[in-house]
Amino acid sequence: MELSVDRLTKHYGSKIAVDCVSAVLKPGVYGLLGENGAGKTTLMRMLCAILESTSGEVFLDGREIVSMGAEYRDILGYLPQDFGYYPNYTAREFLLYMAALKGIPRDMAKKRAGELLEVVGLNDVGTKKMKTFSGGMKQRVGIAQALLNHPKLLILDEPTAGLDPKERVRFRNLISDYADGRIVILSTHIVSDIEAIADEVLLMKKGKLVSQGTVSELTKEAAGKVWELTVSPAEAKSWQERASVANLRHEGDQVVLRILADEKPAEGAVPCEATLEDLYLYSMQA
Amino acid sequence: MELFNLEHKKLWRKNSTRICVLLCLLYCVGLGSFLVYQWTIYGSTKENHMGHNFDGYENIRNCQAYSRKYEVLTDETLQEWVRDFQGLYVQLDEERKLQGKENLETVHKVNHADLYTVNGWIRTLYPELERADMLGVSVMCGYVEPEQLTGIYERREKAVDTFLEISGQTGAERDYLLQINDSVKEPFCWSWAEGWSNILGDTVSGLGTVLALFLAVVLSALFAGEWHDSTGPLLLTTKNGWKKLAAAKILTGMAFTLELFTMAAAGMVVLQIVFLGTEGWDMPIQMVKMIAIAPMNMLQAEIYEYAFTLLGALGFAGVVMLFSALCKNHVLALLMSLAVAYGPMTLRNRVPMVLEKVFDLMPLVGSGADIYRTNTFRLFGHYIWSPYLIIWVPFVIGILCLSPAVKGWARRMRG
Repeated sequence: MELSVDRLTKHYGSKIAVDCVSAVLKPGVYGLLGENGAGKTTLMRMLCAILESTSGEVFLDGREIVSMGAEYRDILGYLPQDFGYYPNYTAREFLLYMAALKGIPRDMAKKRAGELLEVVGLNDVGTKKMKTFSGGMKQRVGIAQALLNHPKLLILDEPTAGLDPKERVRFRNLISDYADGRIVILSTHIVSDIEAIADEVLLMKKGKLVSQGTVSELTKEAAGKVWELTVSPAEAKSWQERASVANLRHEGDQVVLRILADEKPAEGAVPCEATLEDLYLYSMQA
Repeated sequence: MELFNLEHKKLWRKNSTRICVLLCLLYCVGLGSFLVYQWTIYGSTKENHMGHNFDGYENIRNCQAYSRKYEVLTDETLQEWVRDFQGLYVQLDEERKLQGKENLETVHKVNHADLYTVNGWIRTLYPELERADMLGVSVMCGYVEPEQLTGIYERREKAVDTFLEISGQTGAERDYLLQINDSVKEPFCWSWAEGWSNILGDTVSGLGTVLALFLAVVLSALFAGEWHDSTGPLLLTTKNGWKKLAAAKILTGMAFTLELFTMAAAGMVVLQIVFLGTEGWDMPIQMVKMIAIAPMNMLQAEIYEYAFTLLGALGFAGVVMLFSALCKNHVLALLMSLAVAYGPMTLRNRVPMVLEKVFDLMPLVGSGADIYRTNTFRLFGHYIWSPYLIIWVPFVIGILCLSPAVKGWARRMRG
């Protein structure tokens, strides 16, 4: 299976939300990174064929996705960023409703809904109305509905928003297991989630795809640009104003700064190993 | 079918739907029927003629009993009725003179006479007997000479003819309407008519006005509500989330309309049977309005009016669902739906005749009470009596809205 994005562009009036994005995605987990307004959600909506592109096309195994219609939607699982639900429905009822929309036979749907409630840790509250759920619980129902039809293409927009650390770990394991032979695209601001499960990372900035590669490939791009510098608290303030500080840590009466810079920022600075977050921050400031 | 069941269940689970249905039933069955029958209209009037007593059930039976003895409307029975009525008036006068006040029993007898109905016949058929010095609508029965009330059916034919002439209906149109009138069977059987007059003139025709409000509130959110709940993107990415879901929603809208109508109409009919019974069902509608030309009895007319309301409601549901599918904002869809019903309803009596006739063809704007009227539409050179057209056209309009609604929903989904 191959999802190929060809010069996909979306304009809203004079504003360019997605600017000529091209990529070829094969089975695996793809992490979409970018700051707010970078065009991640717009790109995902176009990949789901619910938003018409201004230009460019998306192909699944050589077939244009919009023309595939129901056939494409049959293999698609989607969790939108603003996950909507019916407050008076229980989690189980909501999943059964979504299953009917996905064309899953009733008996199979009941079984699948039960399995997924178990998987997302909501089995004991499956008969409670969703209006009583916390944000994280609703999000887990959202993840479950996206998985109902065993989608070959799973698109998750901010799936870990609202999840506590334990649930995030559960989610990461779930997606890692699920991705075998399937394409999973997820966007998040939590870089560590992507670092943990993404086979490849797509870095977006101002509607453009600025980097694509595995975590190790991308972190190499930031190699030699990450420094640690120990300074006094008074100096730390000054450094924050004039350099790109990725992290700040107090050690005794001193402050250890993690600075992103092309060259050694000061005499005492020592090079250190780059992470995906360093690359992300470095790319955003560039 | 499963999608329809789920959509239908979803609609009924909404609090707004349940509140609307409850209010609709409360208004139509509680206020519009029960209290009307037992109190506000059919309750006996107090001695001071201010307000009504809470005794409609008994009062209606007394009224029916009073009219029952006349059986058939002929010159003789009409004269007999007027004589009886004038006798009661004389009796009241004597009681006033002798006792200083009227006997309650005599007052009740006067009240049980179908006074407004019979007075309406006499004013329509014997206009030359009306005296300019006697004002008020209920007094003609009190002063006309009963012997002058002759040739009632000939008079009726003449009155219909004159009315058509005054209304400007001439030539082929007049011939067509008179041809319909020829089918009216004479003589007319006679029962208490005031009850049927209210049912056909106000109760059933008013149902459409009420339904429009509640249908608009419930159905305007059917499609547009998905955007409000932010479920649109979710539904649109499912296999059946485009046309099949739209079809299920449309079926749900139509089923809900049918259910709401059935609940309201059933409640109204049950109360009608409890309070009025079935007496007089075979009276011609001319007993309510002498110059009506429709060859219908009361039951047929009531069935027509309910059918008119149901088809109008289904047509209106189609229009509301179109707005709901085209708007992402359900409040906007609601306002548009209300405007399309109540706008023309408000304006129809203030616009030129041609525009009024166009308004009458819009769902729930026209009235089932048009069976009393002599309006026609001219289509392809042929005259068509307006009730034949106004019962079907609103429904057809609604059906025509369904396809654009499905397409609009599908298009909306693609941003």
